[in-house]
Amino acid sequence: MVRTALAMVLVGGLMGYAGTAFATTMVADSGILGGGGESSDAHKYMMALLKREADSLSQLRPAADVVSRALDQQNVSQQAQDVKPLSVTYLGGSSSGRLSVHIYAVEIQAGSGQYQFFPLALTIVGGKVVRVE
Amino acid sequence: MPVGGPMNNPKPAASAPMNSTLAALILATFLGGLVAGVTIYAVTDKGAEANPYASLPRAAEPAVTADVARALATDDAKGLSNQLDMEVLQQLQTAIEPLTDIRSMKFVGAVEKNGRTLAAYVAGGRTSDGTDVLVGFVLKVTGDQIVGVN
Repeated sequence: MVRTALAMVLVGGLMGYAGTAFATTMVADSGILGGGGESSDAHKYMMALLKREADSLSQLRPAADVVSRALDQQNVSQQAQDVKPLSVTYLGGSSSGRLSVHIYAVEIQAGSGQYQFFPLALTIVGGKVVRVE
Repeated sequence: MPVGGPMNNPKPAASAPMNSTLAALILATFLGGLVAGVTIYAVTDKGAEANPYASLPRAAEPAVTADVARALATDDAKGLSNQLDMEVLQQLQTAIEPLTDIRSMKFVGAVEKNGRTLAAYVAGGRTSDGTDVLVGFVLKVTGDQIVGVN
């Protein structure tokens, strides 16, 4: 009797946790409740990119060899440290199966006063950012 | 001693309520677990980090980029050549790689800042080897002219 009750609590708990995680991710990515359908992976990637968090970026990219990861770390650390993001706007995206494309407009101000306003398109396959342009 | 002991007498009148009580208890523990699972997720989920930066207001799709998107979607090479100069056409060619056969075109959004508009599109179609892909590209507009493609 006690074992059955514990099993039911465990099964219910797992279903509740996993079901809520799945539902909230689906709702957020579809844009039903606002957010414009912005993928959480795309959002995390953009935040990591602007904050120059090399470890977070590598987690959101496909698995790569050690040399490629070292080059990524160098690229991030060599980016100008005095660049200040002014705005990050999610323009929108589209998805087909595991493939999705999300586009942002970014405004930055360099320490030298140079202003840039440019787009970034992220291509995501299975939760990993495979292309940034 | 009567024929048949306790093992042979299932006492159906008493076991029915017992089974109902047991089923209700099992259902209640399952539902309790379900609620606990949802609560634990709600408490432990950090969610997506809020955007700490400002966002620009959305702009309408510029007519000039809508014409280009229409020409791409309808495979209208002549229309494209009339609308864009060679430099921008080459940028567009690079931007939509590896698409060779465009089957869908979706305007996803635009923003405007300091007289420059960025209009974003996602094109769907096939590569030369028949693979279905999506490609995002952005047309840069200044004063009703497309001045670049990313």
